[in-house]
Amino acid sequence: MSTKKTAETEEPRVGVYICHCGGNISDHVDVKKVAENLEKVPGVAVAHTNMFMCSDPGQELIQEDIKSGKINRVVVASCAPSLHETTFRGAIKRADMNPYLYEHANIREQVSWVHHGEAATAKATSLVTAAVAKAKELEALDPIKVDAARHATVIGGGIAGLRAALDLAQRGIEVALIEKSPFLGGQAANLERIVPTGERAADLIQDLAAKVMADSRIRVYTCSRIVKSEGYVGNFKITLKTQPPDSQADLEKLQEVAAKGEKPGRFVPFAGFLAVKVPTTASEQVLDSGAIVFATGFSTYTPRDGEFGYGQNPEVITLPQLIRFMSQEKSRGRSLTINGRTIRRVALVHCVGSRQIPGIHEPDADGGLNEYCSRTCCAATLQAASEIRERYPLTHVLEYYRDIRTYGRGQEEFYERASENHVMFLRYEPEDPPQVERLSKGNFPLRVTVKDTLTFGEALSADVDLVVLSVGMVPSRIADLVDMMKLPVGADRFLQEVHPKLRPVELANTGILLAGTCQAPMDISEACNAAAAAAAKATSLLSKGYVELDPFVAQVDLSRCKGNGACVAACTVDAIVMQTVEVDGQSVERAEVNPALCTGCGVCVAVCPENAIDVKGWTLEQYEAMVDAIVAD
Amino acid sequence: MMSDQKKSDKEGLKALRQQRKASIERARKAIKAQNQNVKAIREQMKSGGKTIPEIAAGAGLPTDQVLVYVASLKKYGMVIEGPKDGDYFKYELAPK
Amino acid sequence: MEPSRELNFDALVIGGGIAGLQAALDLADQNFKVAIVEKDATIGGKMIRLSKVFPTLDCASCITTPKMAASAHHENISIFTYCDLTSLKRDGQEIKADITQMPRYVDADKCIGCRQCEYGCPVYVPNHEEGNFNFRKAIYIPFSNAIPQIALMDVENCSLCGKCAKVCPTGAVDYFQQPEDFVIRAKTAVLATGFKLTPMDQKPQYGGGKIQNLISSLDMERLLAPHGPYQRVIRPSDGKEPDSIAYVQCAGSRDKTLGVPYCSRVCCMYAIKQAMLLSGALPLADITIYYMDIRAFGKGYEQFFQNAKAMGIEFVKAKIAKIEQADNQYVRLRYEDQEGNGGVVEREHDLVVMSLGMVPDWNPAGVCDVACDTDAFIKSTIPSLAPTVTSIEGVFAAGVAIGPKDIVDTIAEAGAAAMEASKYLNALENPKAA
Repeated sequence: MSTKKTAETEEPRVGVYICHCGGNISDHVDVKKVAENLEKVPGVAVAHTNMFMCSDPGQELIQEDIKSGKINRVVVASCAPSLHETTFRGAIKRADMNPYLYEHANIREQVSWVHHGEAATAKATSLVTAAVAKAKELEALDPIKVDAARHATVIGGGIAGLRAALDLAQRGIEVALIEKSPFLGGQAANLERIVPTGERAADLIQDLAAKVMADSRIRVYTCSRIVKSEGYVGNFKITLKTQPPDSQADLEKLQEVAAKGEKPGRFVPFAGFLAVKVPTTASEQVLDSGAIVFATGFSTYTPRDGEFGYGQNPEVITLPQLIRFMSQEKSRGRSLTINGRTIRRVALVHCVGSRQIPGIHEPDADGGLNEYCSRTCCAATLQAASEIRERYPLTHVLEYYRDIRTYGRGQEEFYERASENHVMFLRYEPEDPPQVERLSKGNFPLRVTVKDTLTFGEALSADVDLVVLSVGMVPSRIADLVDMMKLPVGADRFLQEVHPKLRPVELANTGILLAGTCQAPMDISEACNAAAAAAAKATSLLSKGYVELDPFVAQVDLSRCKGNGACVAACTVDAIVMQTVEVDGQSVERAEVNPALCTGCGVCVAVCPENAIDVKGWTLEQYEAMVDAIVAD
Repeated sequence: MMSDQKKSDKEGLKALRQQRKASIERARKAIKAQNQNVKAIREQMKSGGKTIPEIAAGAGLPTDQVLVYVASLKKYGMVIEGPKDGDYFKYELAPK
Repeated sequence: MEPSRELNFDALVIGGGIAGLQAALDLADQNFKVAIVEKDATIGGKMIRLSKVFPTLDCASCITTPKMAASAHHENISIFTYCDLTSLKRDGQEIKADITQMPRYVDADKCIGCRQCEYGCPVYVPNHEEGNFNFRKAIYIPFSNAIPQIALMDVENCSLCGKCAKVCPTGAVDYFQQPEDFVIRAKTAVLATGFKLTPMDQKPQYGGGKIQNLISSLDMERLLAPHGPYQRVIRPSDGKEPDSIAYVQCAGSRDKTLGVPYCSRVCCMYAIKQAMLLSGALPLADITIYYMDIRAFGKGYEQFFQNAKAMGIEFVKAKIAKIEQADNQYVRLRYEDQEGNGGVVEREHDLVVMSLGMVPDWNPAGVCDVACDTDAFIKSTIPSLAPTVTSIEGVFAAGVAIGPKDIVDTIAEAGAAAMEASKYLNALENPKAA
């Protein structure tokens, strides 16, 4: 394109655009002053401010200056580049200028949110001046285009994984669905009925899993784990190991299934959908995949020994255990019985392993706390409470809660129904949780005492036959995958999306997407929405048959390279190899970069003794120009 | 000489005025009352910055209405916010 | 009147709020041609009118405007604003929408958004965009980051004085513009029609909308927004900087008497967010939130709530029974003390915010025969596994149109609706593969 050439050969004329960010920046940085300061910097053609640079009028301001020929380089000073660098590159591209003749200065996170007054204005001026210095050294670049496999790997065979796999397949994308256990259905297999629709979890799993098994575009790999992952978006190479099940839980479930004479293709309560025959020998294979969808789900929180008496009293169980007991309870008595024991009164305790507060709750072995709300337990607990009351009118139910979070449509009704069923509600503060003690004599095995804030903080004691802990969600143990693929994890230990609103189902690792509760607690409908949204993103990525990667990759200056190979040894992703080339009639070894593999990390730049390798868009020359500009006065 | 286009526009406007008689009448009345209010409010600020209750007392208008006017005059660049006086801000006429 | 034109698209998105924009972007990125039809004069929906958003405290504009601009400039997206949807029906293999382009009385092709007309216009009109806290003119651009930046005239309040036409540099004002009917045919549609707040004046115990300094939560969003009507938080009754601000939670949710039995999901979090922003803007003010249950259930929300508590925001568990005007334009709240010493308590505040809930903004009756639930939200026919599927084949729904939800959940759901729509399109094109 002609504009690209002229932009490169002409004297740089930098346009500087400074954002108020609706006060986020301009409350602390005198943006007008920064603009005035920048106008004086050599090479700056214009310096404008705008309330929201990212708005349409803001972007148009830049485009007009480009189209009128005023500028051929752009610097935007606004929020972190992770938010809007792509927004502005897009705007520049639409004005028919090379989008890489652009530099971003972060004067929000790095300035206005941490500095105030004149210091803030001075630092903003300094950062923007440095960005201008770099912009003057920028060259036009083209994105790297690589073929993309129309194949996606979905990790996890729970509801979210099944949903994502089906959606992708129905858009013509081949799918490998990988599940570590022999069963599909994930945690939902441990549920009876879904709140608030009352559907049976078994039916939902059977429905999805049967469709997945019937779809020729989906290959299901159960009893399988990823042992190696290489490559990049469009071209992941995933090594899969399939082996006979060895976990105690899986073996027990398989025994039960065998005892019932169940064959593959059917849902088995509290186990899952047995997809195929379990393998008897181990095998390995490599998949070529364009995108990866994480649907690794959650596990339920295991209470610490002694937490509300758990582990020390057989009468203290978790909600999933209660659900299972109740599904197996066949007696038609007017009282709930568990293992032959009549339950006259049961205490349900909310927020176990959720909403933990530093200084109040004890961190786990890794020093972590589950500060988040697990979102689903309130409604599930209320449903269990009503079910007990309605099926077993002689069993009394007490609920110990902090806040009742029946947030979804149709959930509030469960709260009401529990009240109508005479479930007794007691409210506790996190610093005064219910105390569970063992009674050595008397009629009941356990006593629960709480400072009930609904009755003015009075200590209320109740003797019960059973305590049920509403345990929260914790992310599945996927540390191996997190390490292998270098995935971002949040403080809550769930996988961390790029931005909850801008890019909610994407990880910073391009081509790796999030579906369901590996990201945060969700109910089934929410997990299905997230999975479908992830499938939509993957489809957008792969539907063109190629992907475009940013050109910020290493480049060898052959006039300087002496072929010492330091870069090859340093490269962590095997993106550099030595090639034999002819120089002055002699065959010599020189470094060569595979741009599709290179991550632009710059480790090669640091080790090269000849300064013969540079990362495009981030060259040493450009860094020097920035440093010079910062120390200039 | 008037072009045909302008002529037909003029006739069209006449017809439109007839058609929208009621709302035009309402708008004209509103403009008149608004101009009076704006004048009274600006009059109060001529002697220097004043708070909303001060302007309201001087202009004989309710405080909530005065605030809506002052906020609008500020939006259209005719008034600026001055220093704070107790719990209230003072408003001044924008320099011309 | 015969429709003047008929347009064809792969997908039709009804509503240009954040749900509609996200669904449109996710379809357009899969190379489908998309039309967005919006009744308002700008896209951006409720979100563009907010101050900042929880739990990241990003400014709402910083997140919304890029999606607005991306849609406006996407080669696969066409946007129709200020349009009235009069019918949406399945017509054989297609969805047929009858649409009326409302007259702006401004030529959209000529207008350059310079606002000369707005400055020139002599009529002041209460500005609904800003909670009626200031005026706009009878010809105006909705707000500074509206898309498109095209003026529109409010003929109900116009005196036809001709000033706007005189000052317009491009001759864009057109007093004679007429409504124009047209038809959009598409293979699939996404309903993203959003919400409005539960009406403020419905509850006589809460003053029936007549109490000074009792404002809605969206009003407070405007007071906190950088472009807001006062550009600071002051009492609307007289401009006093408030010393004490209170939030009445569930003031239009979890209330069967209002026909809103459900929880609106966002009110706890936006109240906490506003309280945090207020304590930044007014460090000396006391801020109290009267609540039934704090429902901070999303990712990072509970931590946000705990931070607010640590910042000194007061949380009082109480259902407000009565709201009255007190002396000196204060607002008096009466409630049963649930956790202190009991009994009826009365407290007065400078400014009280009603944390109003969400009700659907669109009633399809007479326009579209999509099934709705008893609470008037569009009915999801596969609520657990495919929540965006509606009763009409090829018509999907996303966002608050199918039930209250926050922005994060709305954006995920919009992506899901786009996925359903794209699968549907794919199946139409490749009937064998489906």
